[in-house]
Amino acid sequence: MPTEVIMPKVDMDMASGKITTWHVGEGEAVEKGDPLFDIETDKAAMEVESPGSGILHHRAAEGRDIPIGMPVAWLYDKGESVSTPPESGAHPEDPARTDAIPEPVAGDVFLHKDEPPVAPGADDKVRATPRARRLARDHGIALGDMTGSGPRGRIQAANVEAFADGRAPLGEPSVAAAPASFHPQAGDLKVSRRGSGSGVPAVLIHGFASDSHSWAAFEPHLGNRPLIRIDLPGHGKSPRRAPASFTALASELRQAFDQLGLERAHLLGHSLGGALALAIADTRPRKIASLTLLSPAGLGPEINGEAIAGICRANRAESLGPWLKRLVGDPDLITDRYIRTAMKGRADPDLRAAQTAMSDVLFPDGTQAFDLTPALGRLAMPSRIIWGKSDTIIPWRHALRAKGQTALHLYQGLGHTPQFEAPEELGKLIGDSL
Amino acid sequence: MNAQTGAAARELSYAEAIREAMDIALATDERVVLMGEDIGVYGGAFQVTGNLVEKYGTDRVIDTPISELGGAGVAVGAAMTGLRPIFEFQFSDFATLAMEQIVNQAAKVRYMLGGAVSVPVVMRFPAGSGTGAAAQHSQSLEAWFGHVPGLKVVQPATPEDAKGLLLAALDDPDPVMIFEHKILYKMKGMVPEGHYTTPIGKAAVRREGTDLTIVSTSIMMHKALDAAQTLAEEGIDPEVIDLRTVRPMDRDTVLASVRKTGRLICVYEGVKTLGIGAEVSAMVAESDAFDFLDAPIIRLGGAESPIPYNPELEKAVVPQVPDILEAARSLAKGMI
Repeated sequence: MPTEVIMPKVDMDMASGKITTWHVGEGEAVEKGDPLFDIETDKAAMEVESPGSGILHHRAAEGRDIPIGMPVAWLYDKGESVSTPPESGAHPEDPARTDAIPEPVAGDVFLHKDEPPVAPGADDKVRATPRARRLARDHGIALGDMTGSGPRGRIQAANVEAFADGRAPLGEPSVAAAPASFHPQAGDLKVSRRGSGSGVPAVLIHGFASDSHSWAAFEPHLGNRPLIRIDLPGHGKSPRRAPASFTALASELRQAFDQLGLERAHLLGHSLGGALALAIADTRPRKIASLTLLSPAGLGPEINGEAIAGICRANRAESLGPWLKRLVGDPDLITDRYIRTAMKGRADPDLRAAQTAMSDVLFPDGTQAFDLTPALGRLAMPSRIIWGKSDTIIPWRHALRAKGQTALHLYQGLGHTPQFEAPEELGKLIGDSL
Repeated sequence: MNAQTGAAARELSYAEAIREAMDIALATDERVVLMGEDIGVYGGAFQVTGNLVEKYGTDRVIDTPISELGGAGVAVGAAMTGLRPIFEFQFSDFATLAMEQIVNQAAKVRYMLGGAVSVPVVMRFPAGSGTGAAAQHSQSLEAWFGHVPGLKVVQPATPEDAKGLLLAALDDPDPVMIFEHKILYKMKGMVPEGHYTTPIGKAAVRREGTDLTIVSTSIMMHKALDAAQTLAEEGIDPEVIDLRTVRPMDRDTVLASVRKTGRLICVYEGVKTLGIGAEVSAMVAESDAFDFLDAPIIRLGGAESPIPYNPELEKAVVPQVPDILEAARSLAKGMI
C-alpha cells in the first residue's frame, strides 16, 4: 500500500499551496526527512521533507495550486507494483486553474482509482461518542485532529463543536503546520528552517514553555531571508531534559548557534529566549548583525511564578487556558482552538516534567535567578527591546535597565507576547531594518 | 379544566380516579362487568372498587372464587362472547397463576381464529414494592407481558392517566393489561370529570429539558421528577418522559428526546436485566438516534433479588431518588 504525500498546512490561513520545485524525480528513491519539494504560499516559501522512505510516483505538477490535505505524490515500497498511474493531464499548463483554489475533484489531484483519497478507517481507533462522530462527519472534521475531554480521552460532541467553532485563522498556533526541513542539526537541539530568501538569516529563540511555533505569526513579517528556529531543551522537538543552570542552558544554545555555521545572523529572542539571545550576542558579537529582545528575561528578579507554575502543571486545556490568557493583553486572542492546540503541543508528560524541572532551576520561588543586565551594557551591535506595557509575566519596567545604544519600543495594550499579539505592527517596526 | 376535553377537573386519588373510570363505564356501557376476588362487599384488596357493588349489584360487580386461573378464564371467555370485563387481580404477582388464560388464550385467540373473534378484556394488576408485603406480593412483572404479541401493557403514573388509560383500554378491541402501582393509589392529582381517554402507546413528556433524558415508568416518574428538581438547582436540565405504555412503546417521543439531549437514563422498578430499560436502550441503539448519543446509556432497574421484607432492604433493591441523582450527575458531567 503506497503512502500518500499531502500538501501540508504550513501557514495559519493557508488554503492551498503551490509546488515550485520537486527535489526528487519521478520514480526516484527518497529517504524519510529528505527535502522533497518546495512550496510557496501567499506568505512564505519553504521546503517540505519527505514523510517517509520509498520510491516517488505520481508527482503533482509544479506551479499548480493544490488544496491543503490533498495528495501531491505517493511513496511506494521498493518492488511494489505501481498500479493505475494517475492522469496527470494538462494541469501544469492550464493557466485558468492556477489563480483559483481548485475543488478537490477526483482525478484532479492524482487519486488512485482503486483507493480512497483518505486512508479508510483513519478515525476508527479514536474514542468518540456517536454524537461526536456525527458532528465531525457533518463538519467534515477528522476526529484524529482533536483532543477529547470525556473519560479516557473520549471525544464528546462539545469537543467537536468547539473545534469547529475555533477554526477561524486568528491566533492559531498550528501544530499541524509542522516546520519544514531541518537542514542544520545543532548539537541535539531541534533546529528548523523556513524561507530561502537571500537576506542575512534570522535566528529565532522562543521563550519558556513555548516552542518554535510561537514565531509562526511573526515570521511572514521578517523579510526575505532564511529563518532558523531553535527549540530549547525540554521544549518543542528537542530532547526532554532540563539543563542544570542558566549558564549550562546558555552554553547549549551557544553551541547550537555555532553549529549553524552562519557568518552573520540577526538574533531574535523572546522572554527566556531573549535572555539566551543576549547571552549569545555577548559572546559572539561579531556574528550578530542585530539583536531583538522581545519581553526578555534576565533584566530583573521579578517574574510571574504562578503563571509559570500554572502552565507547567496544566495537563488539560481547561487548566492551561486561563494561564495562556494571562500571557496576552487581549485575552480574546486566546481562542479555545488555540488552547487545545497548545495543550496538544504539551501533551507529552516528559516535556512538562522537563519544563517543571527547568523552571525550578531558572525561576526558583518565582524569581529570575540569572541577571544579564551587564551584558546589555556591553552590546555593540544594533539592538532593541520590544515590550508590551500590559505584560503580566515580566514587568516591562525591566526594559528601563537598558543602557547605551539599545532602542526601546513599548506597546500600549500588548502583553508578554507582542510577536504573537501584533505581528504586523512589529513587522513594520523591524522587518525591513533587520 | 382539562385541555383535551374542556371538562372541569378536581383533585382525586389515583384509586378514586380508577373507581370513577369503572363507574362511568358501568353506567354508560351495559357490557361492562367487574370481576375479581373480594371486589364486591369487601371493596377490593386495595379498596379500588369500593362501593360500586352497591350501585350496580352483584351481576355487574362479581366476586370470583379464589382461583386466578378460573377467574381470568371466565373474564376472557366473557370478553370473547360480547362483554367488556374488567378483571382485578389482588396482587400482580398472582398473575403467574393465570398466565395460561392471558398469554395462551387472550393474546392468541384473535390471531388463531383469523380475526373472527377478539378479546376485549381489561385486566388490572396492583404492582410494585414499598408496602412491606415481601417477595410474593411486591413484584413488577409488566415486562413479562410486554414480551407477548397480542397484549397491550400500560402503567399509569398519575390519577388522570389511571382513569384515562382504563377508559381507553375499554375502547380497545384487544386485551389490555393495566399495571397500577400500589404506592400510587393514595396519590392525589387533578382528574377531569366525565369520560375521556388517555391514548395507549403514547408517552408523556413530564418535564422538558436539554441536558439528558430520563425515561421512566409508573412511580419512577415521580422519583425522576423529584430528582429533576434537585438537578435543576445544580444547573443540570433533565427531560423527564413518562413512558405510560410499555407495549406498544412510544418510539417517537423517546427518540426525539434522545436526539435533543444526547444522554439517556432509563429508570423502572422491574428487574433491570431483560427489562423495559433494555428495550428502550436497544430501541435507541437501533435507530438514527444512536448518532445523537454523547454518552453511554444508563439503566436503573430493580436488583437481581426477590423483594426483601426488611423495609430498608426493600428500598435498597429498587431505584431511589439518590440513585437517579447520581446517574444524572455522572452523565451530565461527562464522567462516564
